[in-house]
Amino acid sequence: VLHAIEAYLRSTPQGEFLRTAMWGWPIFESLHFLGMSLLLGTVGVFDLRLLGFARRIPVAALHRLIPIGISGFAINLVTGICFISATPDQYLFNKAFYWKVTFITIAGINVMIFYARTFRRLLETPPGVPPPISARLAGGVSLVAWIGVMSAGRLLTFFRP
Amino acid sequence: MESLYVSLEATSLSTWLRESPSLWAFPFVLILHTVGLAFFVGANVAWDVRVLGFSMGIPLDALRRYFVVMWVGFWVNAFSGVLLLLAYPTKALTNPLFYTKLALIAFGVALAFRIRREVDRFGGTEAPPLARTLAAASLACWIAVIFAGRLLAYTCTRLTVDFPC
Repeated sequence: VLHAIEAYLRSTPQGEFLRTAMWGWPIFESLHFLGMSLLLGTVGVFDLRLLGFARRIPVAALHRLIPIGISGFAINLVTGICFISATPDQYLFNKAFYWKVTFITIAGINVMIFYARTFRRLLETPPGVPPPISARLAGGVSLVAWIGVMSAGRLLTFFRP
Repeated sequence: MESLYVSLEATSLSTWLRESPSLWAFPFVLILHTVGLAFFVGANVAWDVRVLGFSMGIPLDALRRYFVVMWVGFWVNAFSGVLLLLAYPTKALTNPLFYTKLALIAFGVALAFRIRREVDRFGGTEAPPLARTLAAASLACWIAVIFAGRLLAYTCTRLTVDFPC
């Protein structure tokens, strides 16, 4: 199955583009690092607030930065899919890739639980008051997950098949 | 310069970083440099977009608490950056882009101080027009630093004293 996926990805136009365009790969990598910084600069900053850091900032106001983080994630999803399409064997047979996917999944489940259960209650908590335990937990899990994503991403090169 | 590269590469720390198969050698230093970058540039992005007028509900003086995150990120990267330089001194020091990156970082840090001074001159709770202009320049500068850093791997001509890139 993995070999079929590999063959399919390799035949996609975005994969072909990244393999042949001269500065394509380095520029996409730079964009991937930029997207990462946008994500951590907004979601990471929000996570620290959830942990009780800079409590004077109203949660709702800080939350308005989140769309910047989502656009960073979107940049990374697109550039990431391009990397995998260009050289699928480097990812599909690489255990660091699966760690990275696992950490992204943890971050995703965490954020769904946060919006389903914690966010509304948190908005009612006035600035200056310590955030509820559920909010701290969400912030902590998110920070650890994103640091895990970045670490696994960096390890990809060292676990190449 | 050549003798400097030779002596740096011969140190036991440089050799260990470069040649050890341990994930705690080169890979771990790279992870530090990446996570440090995300928090350093990230905290700068949050501050700069607020100074630019985005999400005005965030009190500027309260957002200053995140300067700590910025400085932790900065020093993690200064430390991991020195180790990366020590691992491959010839690679970095023979690449003009490396000096460009360092100059851009110096410029970005100077801009950050200048923006803070402007905000402080206005009482620390609102951003004057000059601070906004500087915040836009700051964002552009950090994007340039990321590109310069990433492209280092593709523009080097010598990996070590004895090997080309």
